[in-house]
Parts: sequence; structure tokens; C-alpha cells
Amino acid sequence: MDQALIIVISVLTSVATLLLISVGLAVIFGLMRVINLAHGEFLMLGAYAVLVATRNGISVWIAIPLAGVSVGIFGLVVERLLIRPLYGRILDTLLATWGLSLVLVQAVSIVFGPATNGIGTPLGSVHVGGYSFSQYSLVLITMALITLTAVYLLFTRTRYGVMARAAIQNPAMARALGIDTARMNMLTFGIGSGLAGLAGALLAPVAGVVPSFGQAYIAQAFMTVIVGGPDVITGTSAAAGLLGSSYSLVSYLTTPFIGQAALLLIAIVLLRILPRGLSGNWRTYL
Amino acid sequence: MSRARAAWDTAWLQPVLVVLVALLGGLFVSDFQKVTLALWVIYGLVALSLDLVWGRAGIFSFGQTAFFGVAAYSYGVIGINLSPNTGETVTALIGGVAVAALLAAALGYFMFYGKVGDVYVAIITLAVTLVLLQVITSTAGPQYHIGNAQLGGYNGMTNIPSMEFGYPGHPGDQMSQPDTYTFAVLLAGLAFLGVRMFLASSFGRVITAIRENELRTELLGYDVRRAKVIVFTLGGAIAGLAGGAYAGWGSFMNPAPFSLPAAALIVIYVLVGGKGSLVGAFIGAVTVEWLSTVLGGILPNSTTLVVGAILIGVVLLVPGGLTPLIGNVLTRAFPRPAPPRRQAPSGAGFGAAGRGRELQTLGLVKMFGGLKAVDSISLDFPAGQLHCLIGPNGAGKSTFFNLLVGQYRPTEGKILLEGRPIARLLPHQRAQRGIGIKLQVPSIYRELSVQENVWLAAFAKRSSTRQAEEAVDRILTRIGLVGRANDSAGDLSHGEQQWLEMGMIVASSPEVILLDEPTAGMTHEETMRTVELVRSLAETATVVVVEHDMEFVQRLDAPVTVLHEGRILAQGRLAEIRLDDRVLDVYLGRTFRASGN
Repeated sequence: MDQALIIVISVLTSVATLLLISVGLAVIFGLMRVINLAHGEFLMLGAYAVLVATRNGISVWIAIPLAGVSVGIFGLVVERLLIRPLYGRILDTLLATWGLSLVLVQAVSIVFGPATNGIGTPLGSVHVGGYSFSQYSLVLITMALITLTAVYLLFTRTRYGVMARAAIQNPAMARALGIDTARMNMLTFGIGSGLAGLAGALLAPVAGVVPSFGQAYIAQAFMTVIVGGPDVITGTSAAAGLLGSSYSLVSYLTTPFIGQAALLLIAIVLLRILPRGLSGNWRTYL
Repeated sequence: MSRARAAWDTAWLQPVLVVLVALLGGLFVSDFQKVTLALWVIYGLVALSLDLVWGRAGIFSFGQTAFFGVAAYSYGVIGINLSPNTGETVTALIGGVAVAALLAAALGYFMFYGKVGDVYVAIITLAVTLVLLQVITSTAGPQYHIGNAQLGGYNGMTNIPSMEFGYPGHPGDQMSQPDTYTFAVLLAGLAFLGVRMFLASSFGRVITAIRENELRTELLGYDVRRAKVIVFTLGGAIAGLAGGAYAGWGSFMNPAPFSLPAAALIVIYVLVGGKGSLVGAFIGAVTVEWLSTVLGGILPNSTTLVVGAILIGVVLLVPGGLTPLIGNVLTRAFPRPAPPRRQAPSGAGFGAAGRGRELQTLGLVKMFGGLKAVDSISLDFPAGQLHCLIGPNGAGKSTFFNLLVGQYRPTEGKILLEGRPIARLLPHQRAQRGIGIKLQVPSIYRELSVQENVWLAAFAKRSSTRQAEEAVDRILTRIGLVGRANDSAGDLSHGEQQWLEMGMIVASSPEVILLDEPTAGMTHEETMRTVELVRSLAETATVVVVEHDMEFVQRLDAPVTVLHEGRILAQGRLAEIRLDDRVLDVYLGRTFRASGN
């Protein structure tokens, strides 16, 4: 019984982690169709932002949202300089953001050094029978839920959300209706980047902060969004649920590396069966 | 002899020249420089694999370094275990290539048979590369070994034997690093030659066709998925060849090739050398490596930074890659292989195929969510007859057409070709069974010449180059484009493009021809010429025309079916249908009978 609870929490933590790292990408790649290969590095920047803030005596609970905002602002700048000239040129965007990713990794490793920096995991552990788990897992699970709900509401229930989706789906029409599409895209990219920064910040205490932080997550994030399919938010959630729990269970039964491989294998096989992703035949909007 | 023929005959020339120059150059450099140059040639070989897959076949792959790495490790494992007994590492090299090719084939199968988009291919290959990186770096412990070969995790695999060519009992001398230069050059030359031969073959032309217009290629009856898997596997094998050579060169292998910077470098080689220019792959690799050696002296520890900055710079400032800057010399010196051209006999009509086959639909239904776009349509198109489908916008014509074509799968109902069900077949499989398809928007290979276009269509059915050439001449005469045979198809007028596409359909000698608004966007005169063309199609095939233009339909003088709201509203000759009040209501948008009430 206790063991079952631990397994459930560990599965939920994996799912929450996948959700957190994917939700920003779901906005940028899923919704905007911009391939941001520097997504992992946006996560990494979020983690470093928390590192810098906590080193300067700022509480980790303030540092985390702060990191999200900072990376969001950084995202606005990236959109303006790098992404905007390349809309409609998918492969070029991929190459340019890849370049950005390499530059960021190397720049961070020059500034902060290549070594792993730890941030102490806040909160303690909970003991259940002979087992224990970190309370911070519960924070991750809660934050994943909150983020997901917030993003869903933002894009479905607000004026901004409708205008942003209009700007992406039919820019010419949106402009004709008086929407400043360039500003909308910039904002949406910024929000996606901010979500990535927030995810990196949230994961910083449980994962080591290293320049290669993003490389560990980028593949999973992209696979989750792709497996999710066209309904960006609901699809990504479903994919995170499926892939996260299989990863977690396989890792539990074998080793995390086989878990990784299993995640990838399941994703590829799923795409062979459902080329349009899990939500390919759903009839929701996001 | 035409330029195209010459290109085909001299596919071997450039590789041989390049190899000779490289070998001669090797006489004038020190052994130390040869060691570095060997590495650059090996990198060039990886770039060649990406150039084939991306530059020629249009598949962007992150995976070339992964195939390289997997082959290098395989070479290591096989070499360490076998060479002490067999005295050679040729099996290790071949084994490495085989493992890389198998991995590429498996990956290609899932991606291309799953029909995932270009972007997803990039991301899936990226994910595979990164997962391999994580797996291989986690094998540092002594428990991770295959036979005598320690995988070594981050520290890498050591004591890999160099190339040797002995046999059991007679171990060959292990090749020295400077000699590896000669070996690498020969290996690269062979691969280069192989790729050129491959691209100059008929199959190579199909690869070009897929890059230029995947949908059209599929509609002509080529199995695009299979072709992509083949070219992707070949790319994997070449990258694997480079990997094996690399492991033999350095006697050492670590996980670095699986990292993103390594994959980025290969892309940069290709961009610098000029995407699609095969020799450019080697030029790019050597140029970039030379530059980074020079730069590395100035800015130590910043190679990745520079690589990233170059990537951003190239994309933002020189979107076409660096070739346009260097000049078009390379691409001009190495023209794309083109189908051979023969003298055109005149006067022959379309090649007489059969008399057409019967096409039937039984209770065909297509739902989109709650909407019934096609609502149980049963229609019979008798063999060898012309038939028109008309209807106002939203009548379900396009959906019905797409069901016939195979772009959609029916929700219910059957499609029978000569009594055999075809509703579950993919478009290219229907094309192979004799259905020729013309979509509304001209779907041709704009970058290829007019005769290359027709050749691709003819070759789809005949698989004999000679027969295909003969068909090309016949058809060009028939569609009146002989004079423009060598022009780019994209330069034709809109009407001519439509004719070209119809010519391509005829070239594949179909039994059934499906035409979606063949006169869309044509001038009146062009429309009238098209009438004759379409009527002559019906001499050898069953023809179904979906059309808007009433005058055109009238001139065709064929049985007409009117669709409305996904159902059959009326059938008969146009003259009769014109008197039908329901049809008038639908066309004039009257909900009530206007006159007489």
C-alpha cells in the first residue's frame, strides 16, 4: 500500500516534469509552429536564473517566478531579433535556434564554468511507512496543474488568447481585423519562453544546474508535443501522461536509461500508428 | 549528344579527379598534416551523407552523426573482438556500416511509413541522437562491455585496432595514421562515386522528383515512402562508413559525435559547401575545419560559440547557404542528372492502352465530425466513357473526388475498380492499379524540364528507360509542347502547365483518369483546346471530370451527374438537366420555385 503510494507519486512527478518542460514548447512549437531548438537552453537559463538569485540571498520561492519572467523577456528579444525575420521558413528557424542553443550553452559555460551547481531542494521529505518522498515533488505536481490550467484559460478565455491564435492561424485576416500580428507573435513567443524559464527554474532544485541542462530535456519535450498532436494543450497533457508514466514505470522496473529509451521507442511507435498525434482525431480546440 | 546524356556518362569523372588531386596533394604534405587531413576527409564523408539525404532528397536529418557514432562503436566492438584472431578489420568496417544502415532503415521505416512531416523527421532524428548520447555516456562502469570491448562511457572506448588487411594466421600490418589518409581518400572517392551513380540512375531521378513535388510523385504511382527509406538507409550507410574509418583512424571513440555541436558541424559543412553539391560536402568540411583550426588558435574554448554564431549568421544573412557567395561555379560544373533526350517522332497519338476500366462507388460516405460531406453516393462510371460531375460550391464534389483519389478514407462504402475494392489503398497504390489523377492546382515539377516531368510519369509505369523515352516523345507531340521540351516546367503558362500535367497522366497509361477542374484559370481559347484533349483521353480510358465551367461541360457532351449537399441530385445529359427545376433551384440559389408562384 505504502509502496503503491510512492509509485503513484513518482509517476505523477514524471508526468508533471514532462508537462512543465513541454508546455512552453507546446505554445511555441505546437501553436506557433516555430521550431525552437533552443527551448532546452531556455529551461537552462531559468535554472541559472534561480541559481544566481538564490546565491544573492533571494528566497527560492521568489526566485522561481522571477526566473520565469526574466526568461520571458529574453524570449521577447530572441523573437524580435532571430525569429521574426524567419517566419514561414521552418527549417531556417530550426537552424538559427540551433545556433542560438550552441551559443547559449557555450556562453553560460564560459561565465559560470562547466561544473554542476546544486541548489538545495527546499522543503523536506515525507515518510510513509518505510518509504519517503520529497515534498518538493508535490510542488512540481501542483505547479504543473496550475500552469496547464492557466495556459489553457489564457488561450481560450481571454481576448489576448483569441487574438494570438487568430494572428497565427490567418495572419492576413487578423491584420485586416486590426490585430497587430507582429506584436501578438512576439508576445506569444515571450509567454512560451517564460513558461520554459519557469519550468527550468522549478526543476533546478531537483536536477543539477549545468550548461547542458537543456540537452537532457529537449528531446523529451519535442516528443511530447509531437505525440500530443494538433490540440496543443490537451494533446500535450495526454502525451505527457502517457509518456511520463511509461518512463516512470519502466525506470522503476529497470533503470532510468532504459526508461529514456522506452519513452523514445513508445513515442516513435505511436507516431507510426497515429501519425497526427494523440489528439489527431479529437474535436477540441486546444 | 545532349548535356544531360553527358552528365550521366561522366558521373565517374569528378570523383576520380577529386581522388587524384587529393592523392597527389598527399605527396606534398607532412605525415603530421596527413593525419589531420585524413580526419577532414572522414568528416567530409559524413557531410556527403547529409548532402545526399538533405540536399538531394530533401530530408533534413540530425541523425548522420548518430549513424557515424554507432558505426564507430560497432567497428570498435567487432575489431577488438575479432581482429586478434582474423588479422583484419574489414569485417569490423563492414559490420559498422551494416549496423548504421540497419538503424537508419528502422528509423526510416517508422518515420516515412508513418508519414510524419519533414519537421518531425528532424526532431525524431534529434531525439534519437540525444537518447543515444545519454545511453552511451552511461556505460562507464566495467559491467558495460561487449566481449573484450569496454564501452567506457564518457571516457570512451580505447585500443580500437587500426585498419588492417590480413587473414587468419597472417595478421596484416596495422595501418599507420598517415596512411589512413590515402585509405580515407579512396573510401570517400568510392562513396562519392557511388552516390553520383545512384543519383544519375532512374531511381535517383525519382529521388529528385520527391524533393521537388512529393504529392505529384505519389500520384504518379511511385512509392514515396519506400524511396525515402532507401535513400535514408544509404545515407546512414555512408555516415557509418565514415564512422568506421574514424574509429580505425584514431583507435579511439567517445560519445562526442552524438552531441548537438557535432551534428551542427555537419550541417555547417553542407551549408558552406553548398547544399546539394556533392563535392561541396568535402570542400565545406575541409574549409570549415581549416578555419576552425585557425580560429581555435585565436579564440580557445570557443569553438562551439563560433559554430553557433556561424549557423545563425548563415541563416539570417545568407539564406541560400554560402554557395551563392562563392559563385555558382560548383553547381554549374555538376549539373543535376537529367533524363536522356531522343529525337521526337511526330504524328503518333497517345499510346493505345486498354479501353479503360469500370469505376464504381457503392454507398460512399465521408463524415467530417458531425458533417456528412458525402452522403452515400453510389455511382457507376462505365469503362471507356467520359463522365462529368458538377454541383455548386459545397456540394461535396471535392470530397468525393478526394475519396476516389485516396487522399481521404471513406467513413463507409466501397470504391470498386473493375469490381475490386480499392477504398483502402493509398494514392500511389491506386495509381499503380491504373488510376491517373490530376488535381485542381497544377501539380508538376516546376524546377524540372518539361520532358523530365513527362519522363517521370512514363517511367512510373514502365520501369524501362527506353520505353519511357519513347512515350515522352509521343506525348509531348500530342500536348503540343515539343518546342518547350527543355524549358523548366515552371516557366510554362498556366494553361500549358495544365496540359503538361494531363500529358503526365497519359504517360502513365492509366485505365481511369480523374480530373479536378482541368480548365481552372484557363483562357477561353485554352479551355476549348482542353475539350479536345479531354475527349481524346476518353478514347483509351474511363474519364471522370469534376468541373465548374458549364460551357466546358457542354462541349464535352458527356453524361453529367449533379451533386448537392453530398447527394446525387440529378443525372443525365446536360440538356436534360438544364430543364430540371431542382437543379435550377440549386444553381440559382432559389429556395422556392420563383416563377409561376
